Amino acid sequence: MDRHPYFIQSYCIIRNHTIAINGHPYLAVEHTAPLHDFLRAAYRQLGIDYPKFYKMDGLCKAIFIAVELMARASGPFENDTALVFSNYSSSHLSDSKHAQDISDEANPVASPATFVYTLPNIAMGEISIRHQLHSENVFFIFDSYLPEFLVPYSHAMLDDGKASSIISGWTEVTAKRCDVFLYHVGQAGHIPCTVEHMKRLYQGQERK
Amino acid sequence: MSELTQELKAKIITQLNLEDLTVDDLDDNTPLFGDGLGLDSIDALELIVMLDKGYGIKLADPKEGRKVFETIQTMADFIEANRK
Amino acid sequence: MKADVFVVGDQLVTPLGIGSATNFVQLLDGRTAIKPVADTQLSGHRIHAARIDEQAWLNKISRPQRFTRLEQLFILSLQAMIDEYRIPLDRSTLVLLSTTKGNVALLHRASTAFPPARVHLPVMADELQGYFGFENRFVTISNACISGALAISVARQLLRHHDGYQQAVVIGGDEISRFIVSGFDAFQALADEPCRPFDRDRKGLNLGEAIAGVYLSKTPARDAVRIMGVGSYNDANHISGPSRTGEGLYRSIAEAMREAGAPPLDFISAHGTATRYNDEMESIALQRCGLSAVPVHSLKGYYGHTLGASGLLETVLGIHSLKNNRLIPSKGFMHQGTSQALNIITADHGDTVKTGKQPDAPAQPLRTFLKTASGFGGCNIATVFQKA
Repeated sequence: MDRHPYFIQSYCIIRNHTIAINGHPYLAVEHTAPLHDFLRAAYRQLGIDYPKFYKMDGLCKAIFIAVELMARASGPFENDTALVFSNYSSSHLSDSKHAQDISDEANPVASPATFVYTLPNIAMGEISIRHQLHSENVFFIFDSYLPEFLVPYSHAMLDDGKASSIISGWTEVTAKRCDVFLYHVGQAGHIPCTVEHMKRLYQGQERK
Repeated sequence: MSELTQELKAKIITQLNLEDLTVDDLDDNTPLFGDGLGLDSIDALELIVMLDKGYGIKLADPKEGRKVFETIQTMADFIEANRK
Repeated sequence: MKADVFVVGDQLVTPLGIGSATNFVQLLDGRTAIKPVADTQLSGHRIHAARIDEQAWLNKISRPQRFTRLEQLFILSLQAMIDEYRIPLDRSTLVLLSTTKGNVALLHRASTAFPPARVHLPVMADELQGYFGFENRFVTISNACISGALAISVARQLLRHHDGYQQAVVIGGDEISRFIVSGFDAFQALADEPCRPFDRDRKGLNLGEAIAGVYLSKTPARDAVRIMGVGSYNDANHISGPSRTGEGLYRSIAEAMREAGAPPLDFISAHGTATRYNDEMESIALQRCGLSAVPVHSLKGYYGHTLGASGLLETVLGIHSLKNNRLIPSKGFMHQGTSQALNIITADHGDTVKTGKQPDAPAQPLRTFLKTASGFGGCNIATVFQKA
């Protein structure tokens, strides 16, 4: 299963209020800062003008930032770059917000801008728009990060010629925890895309 | 009237998450959609909710929204004419 | 040469009944599951929706109180499939679960017998796996309204690339909740009447409930249907609005047809939600693919939009259409209502194919159909199915 000649072209980890791209620190803020402040600081540091960012929920924001940094490292992405994401909580951040909106005693009103984010794959839509990717998107829900599934799945897609490269990984974002690990896998690069390597990268034990 | 337009500007900035903007950046007559503020279809729906929640006005015909939400000024005029 | 993957079995639990053959017969009789629903648990105002009646399946599973309503429906459906097709529970069987919102109703139901974590999809998946004792953990997909159709494609890829997997159960389902009704309401997407896909006077969609499953195998059984080709592309245009050019769907269909070897299509089972923009987008995509003349239907007029189940539900009924050589009319359609004219299947259409009484139109056995789906997030999928 690990014999395929596919490599990691870039990877990004957002965890514990720190961001690292290809193993190099990009940003770290106080652990006590609210998630949105942390993500806003990251957006500002990117120095781009993309007001849609502010409309996104936490899941989309974190993914947006990770992919933006990866695009700088190994982009621009081919427009058939597929997206294969996974997490545990789906869109729980926005789900809770919407549930709260409609349970409000005084004025139960649903917000369209919240409801639209109650689907995890919206993040992949945001990425597709930003990077103009016309490609296959799949959002898996797993108990935990599962390279044993994701790595062979990506290899199969590449083998079948359904995509030239793939952005894949684990994107768990809740009110309490942000654990995003995304990687760009394709033909070029130095780190072989194997289950073993993807485990180590996720744990932050390997540098490019 | 200008009090209402100021209030609307503040609400729009908060509700639609236009974080880079302040009330002073918004002109009463800037188009909200298209080349102006660049709002989209979800924002339009959000403005409908704002009218309902904030001013008790229900837009019966979604097409009506296009005229109502042309600018801050048209919104304020509509609210003045319809609020209870 | 990669292994072919076949649909060798199916199962439906819908408001029209339990079992796919039962459902198919009801459609040919023109029955719809969509009714006015006045339930304050769902909405402050009356809606039109297609809900499953609990009475139909109560007492059919053991210890129902341990499971949420949606889980009970999944169990009912999975049990029927396991029994009918003698599905092994060992490592050779893969199970894919597709749902957009799962147990989300637990978030706003005041008192609940279930722990808060039950709202999370992996917890639900484990409960279902544990109930039957499948050895493999479920693979769960949550990809908006294409979840069900996408799960078939994912299952096919997993079967083709792993020697250890011999067969796969793909099951999808969603239930109507206040959560979903309020959201679609806020999007002004709900029609206050039975929906009319592709019709000039369409006013929006109805929500529906269904659990739909297919049984896939690398070994063709009698009556099997082969998955010939799949394409799935994002519009890269807007997170909720369908593309004005139908770009993602156009690319999806083109790729599915290319992989399938461009077979002549006997019919198309479209997404057809009956919202103004969705149906218009589909007509443009089909026109761009040169498929405007192919008979096409939407089944939303019978079941409403069943979200994560819809792609599976409509695939199952398409397969029954093939097997019975009968086209299912597109309920709710009367007048052309898209910028690109479509060959919408009407009741007359169905009769011609069924009876073949007209000398000019002999009964044509149906062989191949295309299933499409599109969803929030700009996602699209197209799949070609053909009698093996």
